[in-house]
Amino acid sequence: MDTLVFALLNGIIHGLLLFMVSAGLTLVFGMMGVLNFAHASFYMLGAYFAYTLQGIVGFGAAVALAALLAGAVGVAVERWFLRRVHHHGHAHELLLTFGLSFIIAETIKLLFGNHPVDYRVPASLDFAAFTLGSQQYPVYRLLMGGVAIAMFAALWVLLTRTRVGIVVRAAIYRPRMAEALGHNVQLVFMGVFGVGAALAGLAGAVAGAFYTTNPNMALEVGVMVFVIVVVGGLGSLGGAMLASLLIGVVTSMAVGVDRSIADLMAVLGARAWAEGIGGLLTLKVSSLAATIPFALMLLVLLVRPRGLMGEES
Amino acid sequence: MRDSLRTAARRALPVMATLTTLTGLAQAAPVKIGLLETLSGPQASTGQSFRSGVRYAIDKLNAAGGWNGQPVQLIEYDNQGGPAGASDKLKAAIADGVQIVVQGASSAIGGQITEDVRKHNLRNPGKEIVYVNVGAEAMELTGEKCNFHHFRFTGNAQVRTKALVAGMKQAGTLGAKVYTINQNYSWGQDMERAVVDNAAAGGYQVVDKTLHDTNKIQDFAPYVSKIVASGAETVITGNWSNDLLLLMKASKAAGLKVRFGTVFLDQPGNVANAGETAIGHFIAHAFNPESGGPASTRFVDDFKAKTGHVPVFVEPQAVFGLEMVAEALKRTKPQGDALNVNAFAKVLEGTRIRTPMGEVSMRAADHQVLMPMVVSMVTKDAKYKADDTDMGFKPVKVFTAEEAAAPVQASCKMQRPD
Repeated sequence: MDTLVFALLNGIIHGLLLFMVSAGLTLVFGMMGVLNFAHASFYMLGAYFAYTLQGIVGFGAAVALAALLAGAVGVAVERWFLRRVHHHGHAHELLLTFGLSFIIAETIKLLFGNHPVDYRVPASLDFAAFTLGSQQYPVYRLLMGGVAIAMFAALWVLLTRTRVGIVVRAAIYRPRMAEALGHNVQLVFMGVFGVGAALAGLAGAVAGAFYTTNPNMALEVGVMVFVIVVVGGLGSLGGAMLASLLIGVVTSMAVGVDRSIADLMAVLGARAWAEGIGGLLTLKVSSLAATIPFALMLLVLLVRPRGLMGEES
Repeated sequence: MRDSLRTAARRALPVMATLTTLTGLAQAAPVKIGLLETLSGPQASTGQSFRSGVRYAIDKLNAAGGWNGQPVQLIEYDNQGGPAGASDKLKAAIADGVQIVVQGASSAIGGQITEDVRKHNLRNPGKEIVYVNVGAEAMELTGEKCNFHHFRFTGNAQVRTKALVAGMKQAGTLGAKVYTINQNYSWGQDMERAVVDNAAAGGYQVVDKTLHDTNKIQDFAPYVSKIVASGAETVITGNWSNDLLLLMKASKAAGLKVRFGTVFLDQPGNVANAGETAIGHFIAHAFNPESGGPASTRFVDDFKAKTGHVPVFVEPQAVFGLEMVAEALKRTKPQGDALNVNAFAKVLEGTRIRTPMGEVSMRAADHQVLMPMVVSMVTKDAKYKADDTDMGFKPVKVFTAEEAAAPVQASCKMQRPD
């Protein structure tokens, strides 16, 4: 029972964290049609900004500043890079962000070295929230989950309940009409891209302390974030949330399952046969945990190509 | 663009070849050692550690006069972290006239290189190359894949685990319940087997074991839950890089009170990042500057003078390995002003040197080095601190090469040239 509760909680919180990163990606894609390969790089930038600043301004302020700085970098990228190639089409934008991700990673390596940096959860937040059985649950994990939920709520309210949200949505669906009505569409795009980058930066600043802050963190999370956005449906914020939670929980649960297809065969009385064949049939589910999201993506692409909550195009 | 480059290269090649032959007439070509390491991408930090050790040893060899009156030439190739890249770069190295190939990071890459080297040598008699393995520790490399032109200058899963278990048992911290968690590829699987094999010697029971994807997992909390559920007192793991760090951080976050027995805890950044969590954890490694007396201090000081830091992680084993290569080169006579690789390999088989840790020798039967192993524990009263923290590795026990050795695997059927 304890194990189940922990597995569920672990999965949900890791899912929420993944959502924090994927929210910006899906938002930018949904609104601007830009598949931003450098998105996870903003996540990494956030962590390194917070690491650099925490000695000067303290942990809380460093996290907030890191998000703002990552957002500022995002704004700069949109204003001076993406806007220039926009009229060449999506392929150019994609290549640009792809190249950018390499430049950011190499710059980080130059400045901070190849090894993980010493960025840790501050002692004041480093205690157990509760203990169940013989296992403690760190309060920082709950905090990460809380930040993600607050972020989701704020975004939702901003986009659906405020004037800014109306303008943003109008600029996305009918850019020319919005422009004719006197709205600055360029500014909206820049803002959306900046917010997307800031959200990723926030996620990085928060998660970098709990996991590790190293030059590969963009790669580590980047692939998973793309999987989430595809599974959830490109451009759908709700879909990204659903897919993140699904992937988080499924991966976490899978780790605890030491069963293989051979065990399933045992029900049919064919265990010996399955074990004789070996290979895929005797592979434990737990050793495949990190691969399951990709299988899920494949399944979604086959059955429902627009994603769980994506709109039909 | 690319094509025109290729044509240009094709045109230039014969010219370059002629030039080489011409200069070859003037004086003997130097021996070329190719370092085929992971120098870019996610695992670049490991590859760069191997490189700094190799560079140090080669510089030392050249300072002592090189080979056949000429400095030995070190050429570096970036295998980009995968077997496919390594295979490609090996071809480039062979084309460049490299006779000795050095590699260490990742057994998957090592497995590819040793196979490629074996095939090349079969097809090109008289133009053999030799593979100096300074870090790939999977058992198969000296087992079913063992071949005459492969030499391993590092421990392996059995050697590391045997030392780790004996050292931790002697320190009274091993406990009776051991959990083993490893990366799901040749090295991790070998570690898992080794932990099970050493159960009787260590007097423990393996309560559970896990294999997981390599350097892909961000959240280790689910794995830690599993360790908690098993009631383990000690976790033995062959994990390296992020997989080790994240595992330790997740254990600490869950308040898990276990000892970790590791192989790669001394990778730069690990101790700093783990913080106090690291205290009390163990490692089986090839060198600890605190043991070995004045010889160790001399080595550490010289290494520091040349590279700017104390040798850690895989650097010492790379240095010792290349020192054995240098020793064997010294005792190999040139044949017509060139290096005969088979003659060199035969000398290397019987090479024996003294390192600060003790006597190191090559075992001819399977080309596995016999080297002393040190088991160390992370404490605050270590003499050499890790990563600018107040913690470091304090030696618990030094095992001589004979004590640390694991027997030759029956699966090794080595074919020697005449």
